[in-house]
Amino acid sequence: MFNNFIFIILFMLGFYALVMKTNLIKNVIGLNIMEAAVFFWVISFSDIGGEVSIHKLGEEVTKFNDPVPQALTLTGIIIGASTAALLLTLIIELNKFSGTIDREKIEGLND
Amino acid sequence: MSWMNIELILLIALPAVIAVIMAFSSSFKHQTRNILAVTGAGIELYLVFSLLIFNFEAVKSSNFFLQFTIGYSNTPFVINFAMDNLSLLFSLIVTAAVFLIVIFSTQYIRDKENRYFALFFLVFASIQGTILTADLFTLYLFIEAITIFTTPLISFNKTEKTTRAAMQYLFYGITGGVFFFISIILIYFNLGTLKMAAVAESFVLISTPMQLTIIIFFLLALIIKLGIFPIHFWLPRAHSACPAPISALLSGVLLKVYLYIFMRLFWTMIAFDFLVELHLSTFVLDLALVSSLIGHVFALQADELKKMLAYSSIGHIGMILAVLMLNTEAAFYGGLLHITAHMMMKSGLFLSSGYLLRTTLSHHIDDLKGIGHKNRLVFIAFIIICLGTIGMPPLIGFVSKWFVLLAFLEARHYFGAFVVGAGSIIALIYYLRYISQAYETVKSESKTLREELISLKAFFKSTNIMKNVIYLFTLLIIFFGLGYKIFEMPINTAIFELLNPQKYIELVLGG
Repeated sequence: MFNNFIFIILFMLGFYALVMKTNLIKNVIGLNIMEAAVFFWVISFSDIGGEVSIHKLGEEVTKFNDPVPQALTLTGIIIGASTAALLLTLIIELNKFSGTIDREKIEGLND
Repeated sequence: MSWMNIELILLIALPAVIAVIMAFSSSFKHQTRNILAVTGAGIELYLVFSLLIFNFEAVKSSNFFLQFTIGYSNTPFVINFAMDNLSLLFSLIVTAAVFLIVIFSTQYIRDKENRYFALFFLVFASIQGTILTADLFTLYLFIEAITIFTTPLISFNKTEKTTRAAMQYLFYGITGGVFFFISIILIYFNLGTLKMAAVAESFVLISTPMQLTIIIFFLLALIIKLGIFPIHFWLPRAHSACPAPISALLSGVLLKVYLYIFMRLFWTMIAFDFLVELHLSTFVLDLALVSSLIGHVFALQADELKKMLAYSSIGHIGMILAVLMLNTEAAFYGGLLHITAHMMMKSGLFLSSGYLLRTTLSHHIDDLKGIGHKNRLVFIAFIIICLGTIGMPPLIGFVSKWFVLLAFLEARHYFGAFVVGAGSIIALIYYLRYISQAYETVKSESKTLREELISLKAFFKSTNIMKNVIYLFTLLIIFFGLGYKIFEMPINTAIFELLNPQKYIELVLGG
């Protein structure tokens, strides 16, 4: 229950930053907080206090953590990092053209 | 791991390999690079066609099914690729359209071609992967890959406008991706599997509120990616900012790929009855119809040619989504035929607009004066494709719109039928606005415009390939309008797949 609560708070926080803030870099941070919230949630669910899910040779592992959510999260982190990099690059480019990173002041973004 | 049906992997791997070669091809000659691009797309087209031809009997009797598995079967650590009649239809039309777009871009793109083709083929590989994949995790990966690889293509010509559009596209696309991810995670925690077929078998076991949450997050993600009404602002900007072949790729091909994912998710994986039970299907139907109407109305006030075409895309996609939500056989026939028709028409329109707009100063309607006199044949082709989009009788746009209209009337959904008719009439008005502007005689030609024309004249004498691709699209639209029966067999087998998802589920789980 506790991890659901944390997830909803973090997700809403990120969503607030993404939608309400006018600074574009803060929007990127909000998007990353949203993604991080989902990843925390996934990991907290999949962790059942078992062993690392590597199949050791000759040993019988009875209780191990499910590796699929971990793989999903790793992939999600990679995608999140690459999109953040791409978004920040585009914001730098936009700053060169318009001289500002404020969403309200850039023409044509709010009509 | 068996080597059977290795073609499925080849379909994804071949464009990816070409993309890698293209990325390091800065020292190649112009000619070599073009030949590589066209042969790559050609081999891809040949592969898909050979799948159709060699399995023709199986396709005809709707038994066609191919599967490829990587990893340890009977464990969760496995990646599945599967192809049934629905995927075959989409793979076929997408590959054909992309092949023509590649031929067009060999002449259209004049600088940084290595970067352009590398990104283009990566998008192509992701599209094939999205169509062929049979589990949710890979689907998520490929969807995100499409979003990430198209962003640099949108801001390919670095100006303020394109950068803005690309940034907005990426923000919306990734937000949609996060929603998709949440849905996948919820499915995994409830069922312990990500195979679409296994999910389909045991989706009933999930509690109703959880089902509702999963479906709503999937719908949110797909509505964002498809540009349906409340969240459509990014679409016209992104689709009008990029170079013309990329506009054709985004508007003509990619939106249909998202529609394919929609069908895969809500007919094969989550049975459509769940949507009806939870009262979501009528909601999505009405939303799509409103979106269709709004797209057409906004196209009326768009003062840029490509923006107008993008708004018109919103109108058509809304109509297709609405007719699919009727969930009858006639509706699927109309919807799938209109997907094919719209793919041809919108790609043709964007490519010809790209050709026409190279001689003008800007994309604004005022600068289009007299463009019909300068490029006579290309503009006539443009008008024919426009008429197809409106729905003039001998062309394929008419046939598909007719079947959509019939489906709405058969289901006694008169608002839908009204939207189809009203959309056509509004489309007539906004296309005529541009066509009449194009045939206006230019009285006092400004000097800059003339200078521009003279400098481009030598260039345009050699550009036969671009013109030929546009004429080919026009001929295809006329030809398929007369012989739309060609599509009857593949579309009917695809409908069989949608109505009997049990076959796909059993074959994936059994193989």
